[in-house]
Amino acid sequence: MGLEPRTLELFYDVLSPYSWLAFEVLCRYKNIWNVNLQLQPTLIGGIMRDSGNQPPAMLPRKAVYMRSDVRLLSQHLQVPIHFPKDFFSVILKKGSLTAMRFLTVVKMEHPRMLEKVSRELWMRIWSRDEDITEPASILAAAEKAGMSMGQAQELLERVSTPQVKNKLKETTDTACKYGAFGLPITVTHLDDETHMLFGSDRMELLAYLLGEKWMGPVPPAVNARL
Amino acid sequence: MGLEPRTLELFYDVLSPYSWLAFEVLCRYKNIWNVNLQLQPTLIGGIMRDSGNQPPAMLPRKAVYMRSDVRLLSQHLQVPIHFPKDFFSVILKKGSLTAMRFLTVVKMEHPRMLEKVSRELWMRIWSRAAEKAGMSMGQAQELLERVSTPQVKNKLKETTDTACKYGAFGLPITVTHLDDETHMLFGSDRMELLAYLLGEKWMGPVPPAVNARL
Repeated sequence: MGLEPRTLELFYDVLSPYSWLAFEVLCRYKNIWNVNLQLQPTLIGGIMRDSGNQPPAMLPRKAVYMRSDVRLLSQHLQVPIHFPKDFFSVILKKGSLTAMRFLTVVKMEHPRMLEKVSRELWMRIWSRDEDITEPASILAAAEKAGMSMGQAQELLERVSTPQVKNKLKETTDTACKYGAFGLPITVTHLDDETHMLFGSDRMELLAYLLGEKWMGPVPPAVNARL
Repeated sequence: MGLEPRTLELFYDVLSPYSWLAFEVLCRYKNIWNVNLQLQPTLIGGIMRDSGNQPPAMLPRKAVYMRSDVRLLSQHLQVPIHFPKDFFSVILKKGSLTAMRFLTVVKMEHPRMLEKVSRELWMRIWSRAAEKAGMSMGQAQELLERVSTPQVKNKLKETTDTACKYGAFGLPITVTHLDDETHMLFGSDRMELLAYLLGEKWMGPVPPAVNARL
């Protein structure tokens, strides 16, 4: 084909189950579509503050709806999401600051590990109802992703440096400049225009904008087609 | 095939562009999938009040986003939606009470006209062509004053309450009645998931016409 791959950014936070859904679908399509998928660790708390929005779960009926929506999407999209027992404590109190700073430094130092480490953090918080705020939790996720203890420890020590804090802040500000009021967002860079789409439910529209084929959330594996 | 068609309810308000998107996609699929599509005129203002929610447009960044989202979906789903410039200041303020009462009485008296009349109202509010012709809510008003009976008012209220009981915090919602379970889905962007729940095939928002396949 020979055409330049289009840059496709995914701004996400592991605190957000819909971010995980978007992430998995795009990871499946990144080797099918002619795109260069760039993962952007972002702080959803920062997006909320900057936009004046609030987490949907703050509205009782939305909180109820989210549970069944996430459960059905988890089945349809084949992503093993299970709501944590104490949702409000996990999501609204404990948050994801350290985890997202960790992913920020992973992206800075070992970008090829970013996908796996992100996934392991989601598996902890959104599949096995495990903590992601303690150092030991983050190290466990990094190790499971294939990092050595030494590597992971080194990166963890850097999460509180100004450089890493600022980088996460920068990425979050960028998402805000694109108009984000929540996560996940994708930003698609075409020749003549840039499109920001919100939500894990804009993937088919994304395919349309890219001029690519949508084969559902679980496309046939690339190797199966070669 | 011979299986009983599944009941699929669409609760909608013509004030809601996303309701129009859901409506058109389901009208395309109602003769492809084994479903009995039941259109339910509902008052989105009533849903908002009852749920404590507010229209997304009240948040500045969502208002900006909605314009481009609706424009792109309009292209992709092939529904001629054009965000009126004065939507927030005029149309949102005026609301849709009379239009939805009108559709309620159409459903009561001439149910087979409900699809067409609903589409016409969406065209008036959301299509540039209608704006140019100068059609206003006022003209509709004249007709509507003839149908403001308690019976019609109550029927709309009942349908809106039903949507609330299903857990609605906005529109559109679909309610799918399967043998063993009932599913409420929110938004025009749950159609592929709906197909999955029904065990039906999703062929995108503009499936090949039924007759073309016979």
